[in-house]
Amino acid sequence: MSDTLTLDSAPSTATPAPRTAAHRRAIRQRRLNWIAVHSLGIAAALFFLLPFVFLFLTSLMSDDQSLSANLWPQHWVWSNYVNVFKVPGFTDWWKNSIEYSVLGTVLTVVSSIPPAYALAKFRFPGRRAAMMAVISMMMLPPQVIIVPMYLLWTNQLHLTGTIWPLVIPMAFGDAFSIFLLRQFLLTIPKEYLDAAKVDGCGEWTTLRRVVLPMIKPAVSAVALFQFFYCWNDFFGPQIYLAQNPNAWTVSYGLQTFHSAHHTDWNLTMAATLLVMAPVIIVFFFAQKAFIEGVTLTGVKG
Amino acid sequence: MSSTTAETGPSPTPSRARAGKSPVAPALRRKHRRELRVALAFLSPWLIGFAIFFAYPLISTVYFSFMHYDGYNPPNFVGTKNWTYILTENPYFWTAMRNTLWLVVVMVTLRVIFGLGIGTLITKIKTGAGFFRTAFYLPYLAPPVAATIGFAFLLNPGTGPVNHLLGELGLPQPGWFNDPNWSKPSLVLLALWGIGDLMVIFMAALLDVPTEQYEAASLDGAGPFQRFRYVTLPNIMPIIMFAVVTGVIQTLQYYTQAMVAGQVASGTLSGSGQNYFPGYPGGSTWTVPQLVYNLGFQSNDDIGAACVVSLVLFVLAMAFTSLLMRRRAGLMGDD
Amino acid sequence: MSIAQPARRGRRTAAALAVAASLALTAAACTGQPNSGAQGSTGSTDKPVTITFWHGWSQPNELAAINANIAGFEKLHPNIKVNAVKAVSADTITQGMRATGANAPDVVSDFSTTDVGKFCSTGAWIDLNPLMEKDKIDPKTVFSPAMLSYTQYKGDQCSLPLLGDAYGLYYNVDMFKAAGIASPPKTYSELAADAVKLTKGDGSQQLGYMPLWDYYEQNTGYVGGQYNPTYFTADGKANLAADPTWPALFAWQKDLVGKLGGYTHLEKLRTGYGDEFAANAFDKGKVAMQLDGEWRVANLQQDKVSFNWATAPFPVPDDQAASYGRGFQTGTVIGINRNSQKQAAAWEFVKYMTTNTGALVTFANAIDNVPSTIAALKSPDLKLPSTFQTFLNVAKNPNSVTQPATPDGDGYVTILQNLGLDLQSGKQTDVMAGLKKADTDVDNSLAQAATN
Repeated sequence: MSDTLTLDSAPSTATPAPRTAAHRRAIRQRRLNWIAVHSLGIAAALFFLLPFVFLFLTSLMSDDQSLSANLWPQHWVWSNYVNVFKVPGFTDWWKNSIEYSVLGTVLTVVSSIPPAYALAKFRFPGRRAAMMAVISMMMLPPQVIIVPMYLLWTNQLHLTGTIWPLVIPMAFGDAFSIFLLRQFLLTIPKEYLDAAKVDGCGEWTTLRRVVLPMIKPAVSAVALFQFFYCWNDFFGPQIYLAQNPNAWTVSYGLQTFHSAHHTDWNLTMAATLLVMAPVIIVFFFAQKAFIEGVTLTGVKG
Repeated sequence: MSSTTAETGPSPTPSRARAGKSPVAPALRRKHRRELRVALAFLSPWLIGFAIFFAYPLISTVYFSFMHYDGYNPPNFVGTKNWTYILTENPYFWTAMRNTLWLVVVMVTLRVIFGLGIGTLITKIKTGAGFFRTAFYLPYLAPPVAATIGFAFLLNPGTGPVNHLLGELGLPQPGWFNDPNWSKPSLVLLALWGIGDLMVIFMAALLDVPTEQYEAASLDGAGPFQRFRYVTLPNIMPIIMFAVVTGVIQTLQYYTQAMVAGQVASGTLSGSGQNYFPGYPGGSTWTVPQLVYNLGFQSNDDIGAACVVSLVLFVLAMAFTSLLMRRRAGLMGDD
Repeated sequence: MSIAQPARRGRRTAAALAVAASLALTAAACTGQPNSGAQGSTGSTDKPVTITFWHGWSQPNELAAINANIAGFEKLHPNIKVNAVKAVSADTITQGMRATGANAPDVVSDFSTTDVGKFCSTGAWIDLNPLMEKDKIDPKTVFSPAMLSYTQYKGDQCSLPLLGDAYGLYYNVDMFKAAGIASPPKTYSELAADAVKLTKGDGSQQLGYMPLWDYYEQNTGYVGGQYNPTYFTADGKANLAADPTWPALFAWQKDLVGKLGGYTHLEKLRTGYGDEFAANAFDKGKVAMQLDGEWRVANLQQDKVSFNWATAPFPVPDDQAASYGRGFQTGTVIGINRNSQKQAAAWEFVKYMTTNTGALVTFANAIDNVPSTIAALKSPDLKLPSTFQTFLNVAKNPNSVTQPATPDGDGYVTILQNLGLDLQSGKQTDVMAGLKKADTDVDNSLAQAATN
């Protein structure tokens, strides 16, 4: 597919030009360049896409064939995708993952906007310290504090085995989201806010009426990141949900799925692709916001 | 996109900058106090979160690092016993440290180089740019567990398609995740596959390099290499630094992929009579975060020792974070 | 007596309050006083007790079998309902044992015998001795001796065996015939000699025996177990360097590795084999002999392999030839959570699962495991294939071996295994120095785990 895509439009770069020797050389140079760049591009695309292709083909094989040397399914066993859902618990994992991801995303977004706004727009003593605290939290490996957190949730609050230990902390702002939103808020000229204040709006109203509509791209980026984070989270569920198989999420369940269905690589691959699907679908719908978000993390500041 | 990112935020007006130091008019001071109050109100949920989910557990981790605690019986004070045990006696701590540092050096370096390469490539691609960008980006989205299980299958030395193909081409067939010498390089390969985040960051940075500088360099007779060396590199250096430091911190947390790869490759199942030795093969995939989990949550039930390893990880992460904050003051704020 | 009071857990007021609150909530349901060791009632017709049971089985045939057993129990005890939670892994159990409240299990079965020492020494699982005494069960006459030893720690019988696994030698009869070998090897030197004879060329098509320590089920503890080593001195110190087993074992393995083409070559073969349970090299006819558990009988039948195969006890060291017939044993263990409010009912269930001959036999038949009581091992109702008989004999053999439980989650097993790996790869060349280092590591690990 990629070949046709690139070759069809190849001539467009070589527009008719005056026939001086220098120009011809330049055109040839450019054409060679084009070929070199796009060959590299195709090679790279193969590296990135072939794993998906192999996984997909395997997911459509019979279980005997999935471990054999031939790479093309002898029979296309589409029923693998149906049979995965017959695996006990599989549908529950989806429900739990959606619950975790949606709740986690909503809570994170709602709780992260006000602190980000304060850090970007207010001058107050301790602002620098607060910002350093945000960055420290952002950089903190989750394993550093996991032991006391686990003890708190299990011994004091008795909530392990439910999604609450994963979700409740998100109601108190997420450092990475705060950081990202703040970076974006810094780009909004102060004059807009001052104008709103002149109109008699309080800070809260200004945030809601003026700022929020302006930072929509950043908010959607934060929401996406958080959704992906929850969906992909393995460590959290391993710590807090492991003891209750009814509460497992897809990311955690997938690993146990492999252990329990060791011989059925075809089913495991179907499950693996199904777990990848939602993130990829969400990405296609929100590509722009997402890429803007990634850029924001790195380039800004 | 590039226009929003190129800005460095509103520059502080002179009057504002002075306000903090010079004798302040009462009205201004009132405004200040009011702003602090409002700021606190806006920050309050996060401040509570900071106290409960950062400060408290951190202090608690320090506390438990001096306790013998199995999670069943009350903790009792053992002084620095956990510390000497982890730093001098535990047979896996230094293995895990070595592996984690290996990954920090090799994985981060290769990811930055590869990300820069792919980022450059995508800026040069004129035809089908959208397709290529999506193709290069897609693997980054794959959930780590799914990606790792997928790779473990593809790279299975006996039955995976990759070695089948290599065999047919007459190329050497490595043991990948099953060979202690290849397991970490295989994890690096997996990390390079998910290069999407760095690709986008570098792509944006490269597009932000002023074209006049390239033109000027060309006029001076600079070749492609020199243009890269004297124009591109200085311009994107801050971004490279950012990628390195955040990469280091991510790699210090490296957990899911190492654990899943080891488990899947070992073929261990949750069945009776199974024995799984963490870090399979031959301890080559032990990482520091895994050791925290193993000590605190797996067979050992040694919460005190787990907290010592946690704190070592904390010190490492904070050392790199402070480096990030020093080298890129811009990250901190607008002034 | 180590029946723990639930309220003992938390020193902190908050925890104590929380536990007290949950006690107040659940106490209404069970008014039984702690009597003769187990608290909680066994239910009555108007107030049935529901206990939560965690187990690790997940395959459809396993689930059918365990559920049938639970149904059998409930029929016998109409006042006790069992809420079974399936597919619980060893890590999960550790976490679940710490948890209190509604999600905590009453009865737990664990595939990892390595956890027994920890659960006994910390008191997380209650000692079952007083309960057996009360019900006049003499464990020594009921359970197979090796299984009884891996379910206890220093006399604290905090768990009981619920079916077991026995290890033996699987061999490819066709390959034996072709090589002109009449019977399976009985000693380690015969094993080595046969391994060489059964290897064709460099072994990449057909290898007699894969001697590396990380090959599937094979590890230092299982192969070394045939020497019946003493792992610990009487005062609980590591005894690896002083026991003659390990230098002999490592020398034997090194010699055999050399004869079969050397470590690098064998390691290349080993990593090239498929997954243990998906594409086992023995099932694929690439290896002529292998150490494996009894469940491979079922795997081989399911895979419908094209060659003839048989089983035999695993060989023994030459100087212990008389002990031929022994084998390594491990298995599933079952115990009672000390936080359980329904320990009396839980004990009824554990007793049924571990000692009821009928239940054990049907369960063993269904999931192809070795029964764990002497009566069940002798039962005429065992309908297991003839190749399985080897493993029943191993389980009945009084000389069969296992590994002692330690409170650090059997840290010595991993330390020993890692030494084996370092020796075979040449990372460590001095066997005695390695064993002394291993002793130090084991002692340190035990000292670290010691509660004081």
